[in-house]
Amino acid sequence: MKIMDRQFLNIFSFISLYNLNILLILGLTIFLGTVGARIFKKFRIPQVVAYIIIGILLGTMGIGIIKEPIIKAFEPFNLFALGLIGFMIGGELKKEMFQKYGKQLFYILISEGLSAFLLVTLIVVLVGNFFFGSSKLVWAIGLLLGSIAAATAPAATTDVLWEYKTRGPLTTTVLGIVGMDDGLSLVLFAIASSIAVSLLGKTSAGILAKSFRTLYEIGGSIGLGILGGFALSSIVKKINEEYGILAFSIGIIVLILGIAKLIGVDILLAAMSIGFVVTNYIPRKGKEVFELIDKFSPPIYVLFFTFFGAKLNLGRLTLPLILLSVVYLLGRTMGKGIGASFGARLSGAPKTVQKYLPFCLFSQAGVAIGLSILATHRFPGEIGNAIVLIITTTTFIVQIIGPISTKWAVAKAGEVGLNITEEDIIRQSKAKDIMDKDVPLINENMSLTEILKVFSESNYLYYPVVNKEKKLLGVLTVDNIKNTLMTSGLNWFLLAFDLMEPPVVVTSPDTPMREVKELLSRHNLEYLPVVGADKKVSGFLEARSINRKISTKIIQLQKQAESLG
Amino acid sequence: MELNEFIDKDRVCILQGNKKKEVLLELIELISQQGEVHDIERLKDAIFYREKLMSTGIGLGIAVPHVRIEGVYHPIVAMGISHEGILDYESIDNQPVKIVVMIVAGKWQHKEYIKLLSLIVTKMKDDSLRGKLIRSRSPEEIYKILLNENNGQAIS
Repeated sequence: MKIMDRQFLNIFSFISLYNLNILLILGLTIFLGTVGARIFKKFRIPQVVAYIIIGILLGTMGIGIIKEPIIKAFEPFNLFALGLIGFMIGGELKKEMFQKYGKQLFYILISEGLSAFLLVTLIVVLVGNFFFGSSKLVWAIGLLLGSIAAATAPAATTDVLWEYKTRGPLTTTVLGIVGMDDGLSLVLFAIASSIAVSLLGKTSAGILAKSFRTLYEIGGSIGLGILGGFALSSIVKKINEEYGILAFSIGIIVLILGIAKLIGVDILLAAMSIGFVVTNYIPRKGKEVFELIDKFSPPIYVLFFTFFGAKLNLGRLTLPLILLSVVYLLGRTMGKGIGASFGARLSGAPKTVQKYLPFCLFSQAGVAIGLSILATHRFPGEIGNAIVLIITTTTFIVQIIGPISTKWAVAKAGEVGLNITEEDIIRQSKAKDIMDKDVPLINENMSLTEILKVFSESNYLYYPVVNKEKKLLGVLTVDNIKNTLMTSGLNWFLLAFDLMEPPVVVTSPDTPMREVKELLSRHNLEYLPVVGADKKVSGFLEARSINRKISTKIIQLQKQAESLG
Repeated sequence: MELNEFIDKDRVCILQGNKKKEVLLELIELISQQGEVHDIERLKDAIFYREKLMSTGIGLGIAVPHVRIEGVYHPIVAMGISHEGILDYESIDNQPVKIVVMIVAGKWQHKEYIKLLSLIVTKMKDDSLRGKLIRSRSPEEIYKILLNENNGQAIS
């Protein structure tokens, strides 16, 4: 087995970066990532986990098709993906949400962020003292790790929420928290690193300069994003074609990301601010923008997460670092859990939020890793390396567990499948799901008087006419009857059989709604009888009520989501 | 819409039989001779199926067997007079049927069909017309009566 493995690996090391062109790698990555997601779906595991695991298998820790240089070369692409994710999160932060959840979000944010920070710092210091001795060094590591622990990665978390189409107070809270606690983490990191600097006695910029720097990073990114948001909104308002909207949106997002990078402010916050402006300034048109970006982004996300997996390298892990990782993980999980549930309780958040929010905040990624890399720049040597390795190790674990536990939590909170669009419903349903099952059947030998009685007791415009065996013979329309009534007194001897229209087209209960819609428009039909294999009428579709039924379904789901909060 | 648009010399007759089935077949035969309906078996099935649902004997000695079938593109009317009266027609007033007006229209001719039915039923409610028709002795006589009846009196 071992030898087999080695040969297997050899084959792949032979196919090195030089032999594989970039398109091939991209293609393989997206293809395998997607296939992996399909397989994982069978086990009810979120797709993100599949992407990351496929990434690990292809990457540094696996067979090494995706190597360091290519990952480095794709750094801007990863930022682009992160920007899109940020933009989509910003799009979820609607005014109404702040009005409804603002206080709650603020309490929870502060509470979960600070308690993760404090707890991680504290137990890392406690455990670290044992291994490293020097308490100043340990305090520096503790503070830095603590500040990084405050961040929750939005990407993997929101991917789960989007995959399972969740809606409700828990979803809203999670979106708000993961979107904003990066900011908190940045502030904490700035404070922590300046304390660490003074602890270690290095000369560096003063605390004042540091706080200015942080303020600039946060304020600058938000300001830049808001500018971009208004620019995008005012352009998009005037465009009607989808491709134009998509092209401009992507263009402006990338432009803002580039400027953010240029002036050294936070990319995620900038992208979120664009989305925030678009969703609140042009809500209706904005919906279209977000739908378009949403359709555009799946392959980008696949690449983003697989590259993330490919990047992970845990080769240099020592026992003390493993222990510190465990400690960090415990502290962060407990800190976030306790803080989130305390903040939720304090702000009077719904029970489901109090109970399940702690399980949605495990994920850590971009910001955490970014800060850890920043730490290696500011604290080269032992501290920096320890932090990078600890964050990488725990990110690996948390990115696998995080999405699964988030999925579990939103499912428990009853929010899965409540955020569905008309298109989703049409895609998922069959004729039998949408048809009217209780449309009155008109017997072929019913007299006009009896027919009128049926008509007056129900609200349909079309009625199936059946024989004794309930087999479809034709359709009675209100129009037919109107004609007949306008033509003098025949009502005493005409039967449904004399008045019905023959059915133009019929469909079966298992026909997908998409085909049904196509049939209706191709034949310009107002109705479509649904007939089983035995030719018996199993239901009836009226063109005018299909859309109404679908929107009723959506409103129902919305109400269900609202009732949760 | 006027009756003479649909009346044809060759589609009126004095009925020979005195049973419902016989006279219906006589009129179907009359229609089939014109060659406008290709599938006579289908017409037969449809006419008898409709009678099974409910008799088209609408009272006052009148019956209007009517049906829409595929393969017919203009409404067709055939009329037969029975001097004896058809006792087994099961009219709603239990009177023997003396005038049988068969109406055949295309599957999709709902409007024309209903109008024609209405036109014929309205005409036949006229006592003097009915009297004249019942007393007539030959197809020619029936045809003449119907043509005269139609002079200028349009009913739409």
